[in-house]
Amino acid sequence: MPPRLPGKPTGLVLPFAAHQLTTTNVPLRMFGIKSITSPQPNRFNSGPDLPLLKSTPAAALERKLNSLPLRTGAIAIKKGMTAIFDPETGERTPATVLQLDRVQVISHKTLEKHGYYAVQVGSGWKHPSNVTKALLGHFSANAVSPKRHIYEFRVRDEKGLLPIGQIINADWFQEGQYVDSRSNSKGKGFQGGMKRWGFAGQDRSHGVSLTHRSLGNTAPGQGGGSRVYPGKKMPGNMGNEQNTVQNLRVLKTDPENGIIIISGAVSGPKGCVVRIQDAIKKAWPQIQKAAIESSTESSADPTA
Amino acid sequence: MAALPPLTRQLGCLRPFMRSHEFIQQTCRRTITTKYTPKPAPVDLPKNLPPIFYSQLPDRLRPDFKPKPFKIYPPPPSNAKKCKDPLTATTEAQLAVLDPTGERKALFDYRRSRRSVKPGDIIRVTFKNGDPFAGVVLNIRLRGVDTACLLRNQFTRVGVEMWVKVFSPNVEGVEIVQRTEKRKRRARLYYMRNPKHDVGSVENIVKNYMRQKASIGGVKGTANKKARS
Repeated sequence: MPPRLPGKPTGLVLPFAAHQLTTTNVPLRMFGIKSITSPQPNRFNSGPDLPLLKSTPAAALERKLNSLPLRTGAIAIKKGMTAIFDPETGERTPATVLQLDRVQVISHKTLEKHGYYAVQVGSGWKHPSNVTKALLGHFSANAVSPKRHIYEFRVRDEKGLLPIGQIINADWFQEGQYVDSRSNSKGKGFQGGMKRWGFAGQDRSHGVSLTHRSLGNTAPGQGGGSRVYPGKKMPGNMGNEQNTVQNLRVLKTDPENGIIIISGAVSGPKGCVVRIQDAIKKAWPQIQKAAIESSTESSADPTA
Repeated sequence: MAALPPLTRQLGCLRPFMRSHEFIQQTCRRTITTKYTPKPAPVDLPKNLPPIFYSQLPDRLRPDFKPKPFKIYPPPPSNAKKCKDPLTATTEAQLAVLDPTGERKALFDYRRSRRSVKPGDIIRVTFKNGDPFAGVVLNIRLRGVDTACLLRNQFTRVGVEMWVKVFSPNVEGVEIVQRTEKRKRRARLYYMRNPKHDVGSVENIVKNYMRQKASIGGVKGTANKKARS
């Protein structure tokens, strides 16, 4: 006789396959069944004098209120650097030439649906056969042509949401205003600690052999435990990461050719994508109220 | 084997008869190996499902599901296509203001114009705000509106060099004081910084040139002088 195992359900084991009946004889799905108990709120987490939570989306939005631009930015292509001379004062300003190409509002991110306000902007054009179906559907739903580059620009509130399909040209920025630029820096490939982090390297001589540019020790001594801390600066891929340059003055704009000339240098090689938006550390440009109003009016006309 | 309650324990005598039965073997014997169960075949939806339950189905299973047709919109007219080279456009727009006649450009474009300043020449540059500066041209850096030349001179036996932005509105005039005797075989004459090759102070040459120019009354100077009034 085989050994008996405890813990099995007691009762007469009959040769009727009850479980088989229940599983195989229900071929169709059950529909229309929902939970009848509603979720119960935590009784400790309610009351009049609870502190406001600081890790909520609403609190995060409130914290960012003063540092979020009022209006959207634009996607530009870096074309190169030159200098701008002021004919009166003779002052020379190094400048970067950017160009906008068919920059258009694609869609919005809203507080209700996404938790924040942002304008999704696209630029350029991409052949539809090279665009995924998901994106094509997105462009199609918003009545915008397929775009080469797509980025989001956060804005403070719904007043900054430009209407979908609106074209952003170079005159969106005012001459003399300040902008922040975001772009990827030039890629340097895999680099050692000296170039990537500015390590001092090791001696040329004094007995050092074959390790003049090497990293040296990576872990602390006894007190720190014999392990390498996470985030230790080491050799690796350098460059080609986003860099923000703040407070660049807009020197000239040419809406006809889509050219924006801004003072100073912008990260990245020629032909890279540069996102420019109103500088958050300067006063918002005076143009904004008029521009937003006029843009909403002008866009209202074609849609109506 | 399940522990049977005492009342049914007597039925154990029937066990040898039931042993051959497949079902008993399935349910009552535990094995170490896991039995492979194939993935259940998808169950058909009930026919004539009331539409009230459609919301519980994923989109693609609903009987009224049809993929939305795409419409591909044409791109708006492009400004960038109108202006393929914005850098040249901005340069030319500036040169039209800073150098409307194109004289200054011809004076320094040493790769194209023959009369231009060349490395090794001695030139004198006058400024709107400040003293004139004269020196040997060591380097001409052609960069559109940012074109510049490097002049070298000696004051009190100390070598002095100065980059001059050629199209700067501060530069009032540029005169060629003396052309180099022999064409220099290099574009950058940095070897002149070595004491062996240093031209030294060009003060005397410039002084002579100015005296000569004054005696002729500026007639001679007009050929070489490229001054913006």
